[in-house]
Amino acid sequence: MLSSPRLSALLVLSTALAGAPALAEMTKSLNLNGTTGLIDMPSGDAQEDARFTFSTALVGPITRATISFQITERLSGSFRFQTWRDWNTLFPSDGKKFEDRSFDLRYQILKEGTYVPALTIGLQDFTGDGTFASEYLAATKTFGDRLKVTAGLGWGRMGSYGGMGELFGDRPPLSEEDAGNPNTDQWFRGEAAPFAGVEYKITDQWTFKAEYSSDDYTLEDETRGLIERDSPFNFGFEYQRGPNARYGLYSLYGSEIAFAFHLILDPKTRAAGGVMGAAPVAVKARPARAADPDAYDGGWVTQADAGPLLRKNLAKRLAVDGIVIENLAYTASTVQIRIRSGRIDAGSQAIGRTARALSHVMPASVETFEIVPVVNGIGASKVTIRRSDLEQLEYAADNASLLRQRVTITDAGRVPANAVGDDGLYPKFRWSLKPALKVSEPLKGDVGLRLSASYDIRPGLVLSGAVYKRMFGNVDRTGEPSSSPLPHVRTDSSRYSKFGDPALEQLTLAWFSRPAEDVYSRVTFGYLERMHAGVSGEVLWKPVDSRLALGVEVNYTKQRDTDGGLGFDEYDYDIVTGHLSAYYDFGNGFLGQLDVGKYLAGDVGATVSVDRVFANGWRVGAFATVTDAPSDTLGDGGFDKGIRFSIPLTWAIGNETRQSFGATLRPGTGDGGARVDVDGRLYESIREYHTQSLDPDWGRVWR
Amino acid sequence: MSRLVAACAALALLAACGSEKSEPSPLGAAVGTLAKATVSRVAARRAGGEAKAPAPPTRADVEKYGIPILRAVIPTRGADALVTITDQKGPVVTWSTTDGTTFSLQNGVLIQTRGLGPDLMSARVPSVGQLMRDGGTHQRVYYFLGQDDSSTRRTYDCTVDVKGRESITIFERAHSVTRVTEECQRPQGTVTNEYWIEGSSIRKSRQWASGMTGYIDFERVVD
Repeated sequence: MLSSPRLSALLVLSTALAGAPALAEMTKSLNLNGTTGLIDMPSGDAQEDARFTFSTALVGPITRATISFQITERLSGSFRFQTWRDWNTLFPSDGKKFEDRSFDLRYQILKEGTYVPALTIGLQDFTGDGTFASEYLAATKTFGDRLKVTAGLGWGRMGSYGGMGELFGDRPPLSEEDAGNPNTDQWFRGEAAPFAGVEYKITDQWTFKAEYSSDDYTLEDETRGLIERDSPFNFGFEYQRGPNARYGLYSLYGSEIAFAFHLILDPKTRAAGGVMGAAPVAVKARPARAADPDAYDGGWVTQADAGPLLRKNLAKRLAVDGIVIENLAYTASTVQIRIRSGRIDAGSQAIGRTARALSHVMPASVETFEIVPVVNGIGASKVTIRRSDLEQLEYAADNASLLRQRVTITDAGRVPANAVGDDGLYPKFRWSLKPALKVSEPLKGDVGLRLSASYDIRPGLVLSGAVYKRMFGNVDRTGEPSSSPLPHVRTDSSRYSKFGDPALEQLTLAWFSRPAEDVYSRVTFGYLERMHAGVSGEVLWKPVDSRLALGVEVNYTKQRDTDGGLGFDEYDYDIVTGHLSAYYDFGNGFLGQLDVGKYLAGDVGATVSVDRVFANGWRVGAFATVTDAPSDTLGDGGFDKGIRFSIPLTWAIGNETRQSFGATLRPGTGDGGARVDVDGRLYESIREYHTQSLDPDWGRVWR
Repeated sequence: MSRLVAACAALALLAACGSEKSEPSPLGAAVGTLAKATVSRVAARRAGGEAKAPAPPTRADVEKYGIPILRAVIPTRGADALVTITDQKGPVVTWSTTDGTTFSLQNGVLIQTRGLGPDLMSARVPSVGQLMRDGGTHQRVYYFLGQDDSSTRRTYDCTVDVKGRESITIFERAHSVTRVTEECQRPQGTVTNEYWIEGSSIRKSRQWASGMTGYIDFERVVD
């Protein structure tokens, strides 16, 4: 997905360098369903912690595209988008294609030991309408360096062939209104059937797999006539190409050929092998006070031109790292610099680079460096570094921990009264024309061009806009109006895609401010997003070193016309929405958020989300919303839910950039549980410069 | 699918236009242009390599600048550069290529690299005195940015082995040196650094930098 010649060249290099012995540990491979397993059946293995995989499989007339994430060492989740072609073979009146989206969860109960097999319990398609629903227990044991044997027991689809009876009673049919909710009544009910298989590693690249499948393919064979299931036996070969790609070719059920491709990514390890970017300039050492006492004289502060000159020199040094100065204030002993970092992807590194620049420019009498990273014109935190610590520790062993012990991170506070102020040195007008990828589900998306621009009227007051023009893609553009009984706050997306091309996505005036210590505020006015315009206000309480943050947001919006213009004639719809939000950082990169309030369609409810964030910018998360809207209007089923991920480009290709590639994927979008999509929400803006985010990769302060 | 792949590639590789640009890929820079370093390019590493390899510089070439020069060779990258001093603080000298890769050596012992990607962030290293004591032991600690950019360390127990007198030639100049190896062990593996010490300073060395970078060969070409 994100490979480039450079990346592949490097991956080749890294395998060569590792010099691993010929027989490394056997790969925990994936199956046609994009989850850890054999061919069509699961195994007891789990992927390495945090592994993010994207799998595509062709099984005769079926396409399966799956995103899986190893959430913790034992828990993993998958989102799958499945298409059955020739769906109308036996029923000509039906559509030619049938699509289904499903979620899986699996938990490894036992890790493999000398005598104990790995044991995993799994739920497949556990919230859908049951098309692909299965539950299973699978055990896998490795014998020697090359052989793995798996045996398991399946229910649902995986219990449909060679059943051995009902262990936990009948499997009740799914009622219409249950679709989309966790189907707890069905789990592990009905006929249970055993499955089994082997994996044999022929070489480091080639693996042979064979299995006995307990899936009868009733839907595909008997009901729809898509697949001839002649045999329960599947076998095939897999080829591993470097650490990131795996291919599989199989014979399935005696009648079909299947192909699989897996893209395997490890968010914890940069594809580039490390943090790229040029070395910093060395810290400039001051002369010893005894040797040159005059250098330490603070008389320079009275010189009228000192401020502009210092600022100019600093700006020149910081420009190399894409850092601009928002403000500068100084006394004979202390300097406070407010910076905006546009390129470096880690707060700690931006702070380190700024401190190095200060050591070159500030007269020797200045001992205290206060660095305030500024986001959207407001100070996010204040990092105070003693200049002598910087000088002393530059080449010390373990300098990162030693410096961290001596640095304080506090509330940014107000702009000092003696600040040099805005003298027009930083660029106020920014614009860009970039290719933009909008992914709506696996294998569905639009590629277009986005022209965006912003103008800083003064720090914290920003006018910004964006226009999007689609180039190509395959998202729904039929222009059919939705049949949702709720106000069509989201479900007319097809109309917006069709009629609003190009569309003014956004045109807003935003005001960010710091009303009190630990408190941040935002007011955004204008065309907030593609479908809604109005005013949005937010206040956030977040002490710099606190795991907890609390916020409140209130919006008044009117629904925009589908043509992407400025009008409001098509929908006569306006509403006040708002939420109370609690954010909690659980540590180890896990962030939780709870929002309670009123949603766009007037429904009332709550959203829970959990994200795993990595210091390098990777982010994978899931969310679920329950509201009082009638259940069939929320997404696919009873509640809105989905997953989201974001992959920083710097992780993949090594460029120093803050751009990323990401998507939010839902099994279905409904009008219930929808929120206004407004830019610059406070928590995410400022979090990067707070203790919990600076500490994990603090080592980059010296990078 | 292929469209999406193409789109992703476009996203990653297309130079977007705008008022704020991102850096050209420093990965390419580090791998490629480390070779065309400060003074001039040193001979192609592989004998019988590219037909148009520039003539190897001579001692006269490297001395005409009148500044100290260090040669750094990274075999795993095929990189070979002559580097010059950009910072000096007490026993620590930082040498830099023109494109922003630096090597910091404390009395000739590598303590930091920057700009390589898999960098050595800092290190606890022996003194030259310790390296000349045959059979001497010491602890060595390397600090890196590891998984997900978090600080990690590797601690080794090292033993010095003084191999004896040798004569080496660096850019046509012969040096009479003592060859020393420093064998460092930890349960997960071994690192062996080699030094060729002239008097009390390190003339030449082969020092381990990081897992992916491997060893770097240093030669003090011009003092």
